[in-house]
This record gives sequence, structure tokens and C-alpha cells, in this order.
Amino acid sequence: MIGGLLLSHAAVCLVLAAAGRRLGRGSLLVAAVPPAAATVWGVTRLGGEEPAVAHVSWVDGLDLAMTFRVDAFAGIMTLIVSGIGVAVFVYAFGYFSAADPAMGRFATTLLAFSAAMLGLVWSDSVWSLFVFWELTSVTSFLLVGHKSTDAGVLAAARRALMVTGGGGLALLAGLLLVTRAADATLLSDLGPVQGASAVVGAVLVMVAAATKSAQVPFHAWLPGAMVAPTPVSAYLHSATMVKAGVVLVAVAGPALGSLAAWKALGLAFGIASIFWGAVGALRHRDAKLILAWGTVSQLGMLITLFSVGTAHAVLAAVALLVAHALFKGALFLIVGEIDVRAGTRNIDELGGLARSMPIACFAAVLAGMSMAGAPPLLGFVAKETAIAAALDLEGPEAWIVGFGVIGGSVLTVAYTVRFLIAVFGAGPQTPLAPGRGALPAPSVILAAAGVAGYGALGVVDDLVGEAAARLSGAAVGHLHRWPGLTLELGVSAVVLAIGALVGLAVSRRPPRMPADLGARWTDASIDGSVAFGRTVCARVQHGSLPVYLVTMTSVAALAATPFLADVSVDHLVVWHRPLQVLLAAAVISAAVALCFVGTRLGAGLALGGAGIAVAAIFVIHGAPDLALTQLLVEATIVVGFVLAFGHLSRSFPLTGARWRAVRMAIAGLGGAAVVIGLGAASANPSGSPPVAEMATAAANEGGGGNIVNVILTDIRGLDTLGEVLVLATVALGVVALARASSGTASEQSAGTASERATDAASEPA
Amino acid sequence: MNTALLLAVGGLTAVGLYLLTGRSLSRIVIGYSLLGHATVVALIAAGGLAGRPPIAGGAALEDMSNPLPQALTLTAIVISFGLTLFLLALARRQRTLSGDDLVEDDLEDRRIAAAEGSGEAGAR
Repeated sequence: MIGGLLLSHAAVCLVLAAAGRRLGRGSLLVAAVPPAAATVWGVTRLGGEEPAVAHVSWVDGLDLAMTFRVDAFAGIMTLIVSGIGVAVFVYAFGYFSAADPAMGRFATTLLAFSAAMLGLVWSDSVWSLFVFWELTSVTSFLLVGHKSTDAGVLAAARRALMVTGGGGLALLAGLLLVTRAADATLLSDLGPVQGASAVVGAVLVMVAAATKSAQVPFHAWLPGAMVAPTPVSAYLHSATMVKAGVVLVAVAGPALGSLAAWKALGLAFGIASIFWGAVGALRHRDAKLILAWGTVSQLGMLITLFSVGTAHAVLAAVALLVAHALFKGALFLIVGEIDVRAGTRNIDELGGLARSMPIACFAAVLAGMSMAGAPPLLGFVAKETAIAAALDLEGPEAWIVGFGVIGGSVLTVAYTVRFLIAVFGAGPQTPLAPGRGALPAPSVILAAAGVAGYGALGVVDDLVGEAAARLSGAAVGHLHRWPGLTLELGVSAVVLAIGALVGLAVSRRPPRMPADLGARWTDASIDGSVAFGRTVCARVQHGSLPVYLVTMTSVAALAATPFLADVSVDHLVVWHRPLQVLLAAAVISAAVALCFVGTRLGAGLALGGAGIAVAAIFVIHGAPDLALTQLLVEATIVVGFVLAFGHLSRSFPLTGARWRAVRMAIAGLGGAAVVIGLGAASANPSGSPPVAEMATAAANEGGGGNIVNVILTDIRGLDTLGEVLVLATVALGVVALARASSGTASEQSAGTASERATDAASEPA
Repeated sequence: MNTALLLAVGGLTAVGLYLLTGRSLSRIVIGYSLLGHATVVALIAAGGLAGRPPIAGGAALEDMSNPLPQALTLTAIVISFGLTLFLLALARRQRTLSGDDLVEDDLEDRRIAAAEGSGEAGAR
């Protein structure tokens, strides 16, 4: 069923990609079908005991497989991803005008994102989780850059891709380290890990989560991404994709939660984001940006609670995750509706909307109350549980988390109050375009779900409790509709009162556009790394072929150094036949002579000498076939050498002395590396040569006495045929080159000579 | 392993690399050829001790040299022969076109380096 649902998403994507132009805006409704199916499947599975699993093997030997496992937590995420997905697709149908030509492409990408997000929350294998993680980054980039002609939009899309893509790299490295330390690649198999590499891996995974969930200091891409159409902002950038980091922290908690670095880093990211996000939400004047900064703050709260990791905190976090998806989704959709009808989102230009858009106002107040944590809404329950979980802790952690949760709640109430007053409060009446039929429905449904969740808290408690128990590995308490006259209720009342006062006070402040330091900082670091890449490229790819070769040789030589330890003199003998020493000396002296011979003819002769000495080595070794071939080859090459270079000036051009010294040093290193490698290899002899087997095979199967010949023509005859083809190709090439050089030479030499970049001055020295 | 042959391999490799990194195409061809020699000698030296030619009836089995690396080496000789000839043909072509046998810088890379260095990559 899991595979079927993912495939149905992919199939509808293909259909929309092909027929999207013809379907136009209707493709949005077609795209809503697979998420609706996934939602129905998710609902039917609610409360089921056994997790649904699916396994698609790809490379068994490398443990590469797509493994999915839908447990209680993944079940809740399925409802959020697909349920809100359906609402957003329906909403988008009303949001976009029927004439928009890019609707097919938009619906395809949004559905592809929906599938990737489902894959992410369903993944059990960390590698499939990583793949879907990256897919959500890419589809997010495409969706943010939907209006692809505007420079500001493209800059925002690039920022989102660079930050979340960089986080993806950190995730890959972190997962490699963590899975090595845990010796498991399934999330359900990961046990608590220890050790230095596990700590590094945990830090990298947490950084990846922080980039995806827009935590300070990686938060700037999220407000920037608000240039996307509102359905995208509501779906990706509040309800689902930005939750991916939170989901990662949640599912990795059982394995990494015991590491102090994991918890400390999570709390640092989370609490910094709670406050900085809330401050941003209090400063900005664009209604959508207020919500986006509020999302940064709420995500910080979720990361904080999941990092704390106690059963109580995890219960609060899962409840807040659900509540946030509902209320923030609803608020985004309402702001989008206002944007479409009023033509602006600037709170200074909005007024009188409570009268002219009563349904939207009602839904916004409901959702806002849930965000602020007021009863009777799901957000209230979540916030009560979070405060109670913070009060449960002991030692300095209690102070830090309590400060974050309670302070964050005050500021959340404040920016909610400010948002509602600014958007729906009094002011000169904003002129509105006529309403569009389906536009208000999804937001009302999402906002009402917050009330329904409070009413049917028993059901929610079962689901959330089961998920939290799976994530924290311990028995969890219950969500309470009304905690009674407890400390947390008192704290909550104080929070609401102070927050409302702060919100009212901020609303009265004169308008002032805040500077967006985070975006500037992020862009500067992206530009900086691009400039760094250019500098490195200009240094490394400078165009001199000899320098490339020298670089490659030194790297290869360095790679041989570990083998130095394996070289053993036990397996080395000076010679097997005395003549070998003489011939080796002859070969080396011929080679060394080649470095110093000044004339081309002399070089050709010395080369021939080296070749003949090699042939003699073959004779001594007992390889007459090789010696014959070598002699033949050598004679041909000397003839070719004379033909090719005979007409050139007799002596070689001189090169700079310093560069020559570098070349000598590197070449010496290369030679030494080969000697080391061979010496190390000879320390591990693999038994005696298979002479007898080969002789028998040659006699019985090939019917010949010369074993080498039988191997070539019979045992590996097909290889030899390929070799013949290679030689034939070379012959054709040589003939073609020789023919081409006669006739057209004079015209072409004029053209190429002017293009040539080489002269004595460009020689690296 | 046979130290004399091992040193021959090292010497051939070093000189081959030295010549390969020069600017003169004829020396590069020579360097290439020497690297080929180094490879075949390495194959033979790694394949076992010296012995009698591996021809049935010519010697006792235990006196024979190992025939398997010889078969592989034969292929190596022939292929490096083909490549060397092709290089020679290219060098001859180069000489006909430019009048000398110097290796030039990669023009495309030079352009990239110049553009990146001056920060104009975006305009390309």
C-alpha cells in the first residue's frame, strides 16, 4: 500500500506534466486526488497496532534499499502532509486565476513535493530519508521560484536552496557517521550511540535539522521564501517541509538523545529561534512575514521540546506539531485570501476587514487563539503540556527550558494579538475585489479542526500519546482538556495577560521597516563561497597541461605512502639470474640518457636501446614470445619516430631550470611510489603460479604446446579479437592523420598559429 | 620479488613521468613509451620467478616461468604500441600545422581561468 500510494503520486505527476497545459487550473484538482487517497489510508490506519512496512531492495550487497515504516508518529505526519495537502490544492484552485498558463507545472511540482514529503516521513532507512529530504529541498526551490522572472524571487529561491542544500550535505555526512557508530541503517534499529564520531555525526544531523527548520542562524531563507505563492507558503513553509527538521530531531532522538552535545545544540538552536523569531514577528509589517517569523519561533519551540527528550516534553512537542500545522496553515490561507482580494498584505494599508470579511476574520480569530494558546483550542492543550513538561525538569535545564517555553509563549501571545489587531482591527476601509467561491473553505476547516481537536481530545490524546511513546521510548502521560487549578494554569494565565499587553503596546508603535540582517548575512556568505570557488577554479584550472600532470602525479605518489608500512625485504631477492642486474642497469641508463640527449635522432636511438634491453629481460625471464613482440614493436616505433620528427630542428627546446627541478622531483616521487606499491604487493604472494593447470588446459582444450599462445588465441580469444580491433582502429586513425596533413597544411597553419597560447614565456617556472 | 627488475621499473617510471611533463611532444611520446616499458616489466616481475619458456615438452613443468602474466603482458605491449603510434601521428599532424612540436596550454581552460579570476564568470 505504501509503495502503491507513492507510485500513484508519481503517476499523477507524469500525467500532469504531460497534460497540464490542457487541463490548466483543473490540474490542481487532479493533483489533489493522490493526497486525498493517502489521507483516507492514513485515517483508516489510525489506532492500528502494527506499523505498516514496505521494503524495496536496490543493491543488496551495499545495504541500499528503500525501507518504509509507518508507525504512530508517521501516521500523524501522513495526516498533516496529505490532509493539509488536499486543503491547499483546493485552495490553490481558487487562489490562482484561470488564465495562469503555468498551472500544470505548478501542480506537478507541488504534487511532487507532497510525494517527497510523504516518503520522508515514511522512511525507515536513513538513506531513503536522505533522498526524500533532498527532493523536498529541490521542489521547494522550484516552488519558491515559481514566478521565475523576478530577480528578488530568484534570490530568495537561491537562498532557500543553498541553505537547505548545504544542510543536506551535513545530513549525509552526519548519517554516515551515526550509522557507522550504531551499526544500523534503519531508524527503528538505531540504538543509543557513543563515541567521538557519533558526537560529530549528531552535531551534523542537528545542523541539518536546523537549516531545514529555519533555526537561527540559518533562518533567513524562510521569511525570504514568502515571495512564493501563498499555497506554497502555507503548505511547504509552515505546515510540512519546515517540519522535516523537527521530524528528524524527533526520530533521531532515541539514538542521539543521550549525547550531551545533541541536547545542548538543540536547545541553543531552539531557544535562540524562539526569541529571535518572535521578535521578527513583532517587527515586520507584512502580514505574511509576521506569520513566517512566527513559524521560526514555533519551530524553535518544537526543536527545544524534542531535544529535551523527556516523555512529557515529547508529548507536548507532538501535540504542538499537530496544533501548529492546523492553526498556521489556516492563518496563511487567510492572509493569501486577503492578498488576492485587497491586493496588499501590508498591515498599514489593511483596515475594516472584520466587517468586510467576517468569515475570514472568524477563522483567523479561532486559529490565532490556538496559536496564542487560549482555550478552547488544541493550541491551549499543547502549550499547557509544554509548560508542565518544562516545570517537570530539574536543575539548570529546568531554568533554561522554562525560560524558553514561557518567554516564548508570552511573545507568541504578543505577536498574535498584534497580527489580529493589525489585520482585522479598525482603520480606513480597504477596498476589496469580489470573493472567489472555494477560497475561504479550507482555512475555515483547518481553523475549526483546532476546536474539534479540543472537543474530541480523547481521540487526539490516544494518537499523540502513542506517537510520543514510540519517540521517547517511555510511557507518557495524557493531554488534559482542563488541567485544573495547577501551577501551569496559573503560568498560562499570566502569560496570556502579559502577552496581550505587550501585543497591544507594540501595535501602537509607529511603523518602521526593519532591516533584514539575517538575509544579508546569508547572501553574503553564499556570495563569499561562490567567490572562493571562483578563486580556487582560476588557480587550479589554469590551462597548463604539464602542471596538471605534475599535480596528478604528486597526489598519486602521496596516495602510495600508506603502503610503505607493508614493504618487507623478506620477499625481495637481488636477482634470479645475474644477467638481470646488467640488463636492469642498461634499461635505467638508457632511460636516464633519454633525459639528457639533446637531439631528436639520439633520443630515438636511446629509446630503441631501452626497448631492446627490455626485450632481453624477457628472454632471460623465459618469455620468448614477449621478446619477439617487443623487438618488432620497438623497430616500428623507431621508424615512426623518425618519420614524425625527422624534419624538425635537431635539438629539443630548452625549458626553465627551476621548473625542470620540480619535474625531476615529482617524477622521482612517482617512480618511488611505484616501487613502494610493487614492494608492498610482493609481500603478499598468492601461492604458486598455475603453470600445471595452464599446461593441461592448453594441451586438452587448445591443442597446443606454447601455453602463452594458446591463452591468447583460445582461452581468452575474444579479448585478443578486441585487441585486433583496437589496432585496426589505430591504423585507420594514423592513416587519416597522415592523409590530412598533406595539402591543407598551409592554410590551417596560419589560423592556428595565431591562436596558440604557448611561447617560452608561458612555460611555468 | 626481483630487486633488479623492481628498480628498473622505478627508473623507467620516473624518467617516463619526467619526460611526460615536458613541453616537447616528441619527448612526451618517448616518456609515454617508457611508462609502457615500466608497466610490462612490472607485470613480468610480479608474475613470478624467471624460468624456462612455458612451452610444453621444452622443459619440466616446475622449471617453467608463469605463462599467465606473459599473456597479459603481450596485450599490454601491443596496446601501448598502438597508442604510441597514434601519438606519433598526432605529433606529426601538429608539426605540419604549427611547424614545431610544443604542447600548448588548454585554450578553453585558459579562458575559464581568466574569466573566473576577474570575476566575470557570471557573464559567460
